[in-house]
Amino acid sequence: MRRAGRVFAYGFVLLMTGMTVFPFLYMVSASLMSFQEATGVPPAMLPAHARWSNFGEALHAAPFARYAANTVIVSGLSTVGTLATTILAAFALVRLRFRFKRLLTGMMVALLMVPYEILVFTNYRTIAQLGLLDTYAALILPSLASVFYILYLCQYLTAIPDTYYKAAIVNGCGDLEYIWRIMIPMSRSALFTMALLLFISGWNSFLWPILVTNTTDMRLVGNGLSAFVTESGTAVQLQMAASTIIVLPILILYAVFHRRIIEGVHVNGIKR
Amino acid sequence: MAGVVRRWLGRVGSYSAERQPRAWLLLLPALVCIGVFNVLPLVRVLVMAFQSGTLRHLRFAGWSNFVAVFADPSFVRALVNTGVFAVVTVPVGLVVSLMLAVAVDSGLRGSRVFEALLFVPYLTSVVAVGVVFRYLFNGDYGVVNYVLSLVGLGPFDFLNDPRLSMVTLCVFGVWLSLAFNIVILLSGLRAIDPMLYRVADLYGASAWERFSRITLPQLAPMITFLSIMDLINAFKVYTEVYVLFNGKPGVADSAVTAVFYVYDKFYVQGRYGQGMAAAVVLFMLILVFTLLQSLLVRRLSK
Repeated sequence: MRRAGRVFAYGFVLLMTGMTVFPFLYMVSASLMSFQEATGVPPAMLPAHARWSNFGEALHAAPFARYAANTVIVSGLSTVGTLATTILAAFALVRLRFRFKRLLTGMMVALLMVPYEILVFTNYRTIAQLGLLDTYAALILPSLASVFYILYLCQYLTAIPDTYYKAAIVNGCGDLEYIWRIMIPMSRSALFTMALLLFISGWNSFLWPILVTNTTDMRLVGNGLSAFVTESGTAVQLQMAASTIIVLPILILYAVFHRRIIEGVHVNGIKR
Repeated sequence: MAGVVRRWLGRVGSYSAERQPRAWLLLLPALVCIGVFNVLPLVRVLVMAFQSGTLRHLRFAGWSNFVAVFADPSFVRALVNTGVFAVVTVPVGLVVSLMLAVAVDSGLRGSRVFEALLFVPYLTSVVAVGVVFRYLFNGDYGVVNYVLSLVGLGPFDFLNDPRLSMVTLCVFGVWLSLAFNIVILLSGLRAIDPMLYRVADLYGASAWERFSRITLPQLAPMITFLSIMDLINAFKVYTEVYVLFNGKPGVADSAVTAVFYVYDKFYVQGRYGQGMAAAVVLFMLILVFTLLQSLLVRRLSK
């Protein structure tokens, strides 16, 4: 088929993929440069010798290990919490009959329309009034349930025939036992994708942590990095090292699970 | 109330073919969290938009916050900038990602690899990527200026020239928006029945006819979905600005956006009422535009 078109398509894809990947490659390359190399004109593409000491210097200049530990704790607990509340709620919405179910579902769909960025400021007030500013609780509590993922899981669960539930009940199985022994194993792949995406969005969160944390010790990687950029001034090579430290764990997760992640997004367009 | 709770508890575990009020017990954890952190803040936004004063002494202020906000040139600029960002990044991002998705799907070898690589920016921290873009866009030693100098352009001071801050922000916005669009469009393209194309070839359809008569109509639902999602996201642009301009909304507020304005009023200046009034205006704009856009798309697809 149309050779010229083919060559053009290939060239276009290569160009755009290059532009997508280049910032990441250059970030890693510059993280190993000396200051002179990183700020040279014309710009150096690769360092003469890889300066691994930049990473040590960056870790020394700001407590990125602490930020990373905070972020793992906060996104880990939020992910587990969201999974638990979502599984229970989605089970109830899909398998049980109760009054106002339609109204409740309708309200949830309506809530999807409300941007998080609008709510984040009054949530900050709530957390301040509860006296929780600058605590892990402040970082975790608001993300313990997600309307979006409840509806996402509902859609997935409706594909599992109701007969499984009926049979389980007839055989004397309770709701929680059904959820634990039948529903969760049957929807393992959806739950796993959900957990991955929840964790990644927790890792990348930014606006909420800058609002509710004041002390350096409570920062997450996102606001930690942005504070470091302000403090480190022109030390670009250290900024690139710090960015690499933050991006790398996600890239590794993605390298291992990319098919699952992409499929999860295919199935049901996931919002940022 | 206690009686109601006892009745629910009594039913937990027991099966009834009729109504199953124990559902509420299972929904409770999720509903408490959603109630406190999704519904309550929405109500508080609407209340605080009509209040003024310090947090300990808020009093009813009528529409004065809205009047103050609209009289503030900085808010008007924030709305204009947000609008410009949306009008530029949404169509450009969609057209580029549509071209790219079609090219990736045109039977290239390694199309899955390209898809996987193109999706990376969706998952990586906007902050970290923004720090890298700050470096690439640097006026003195940035790579972008170097590349432009090869074709005899520049140098441009992308980050410090107030006339360029919106350009820089839009370039970053388009770059960020491609990943999600491409993956969704590719899933749409792969779902198109190949028979349609075979029949078209049988009748000697040109490449353009194949695209405009088959691909585009088949992708219409995906494009609608993406254009609405992208538009909402564009209206909420904030982190991109914060990171690109190092915590400031560009030199001389040149890249201030609506959410940035709300953040500044509420969190930095402590003018809670005005901040929330601005948030209400933004929310209404998002609602109206989403509605208008879905009407428009429905009209066009007929």
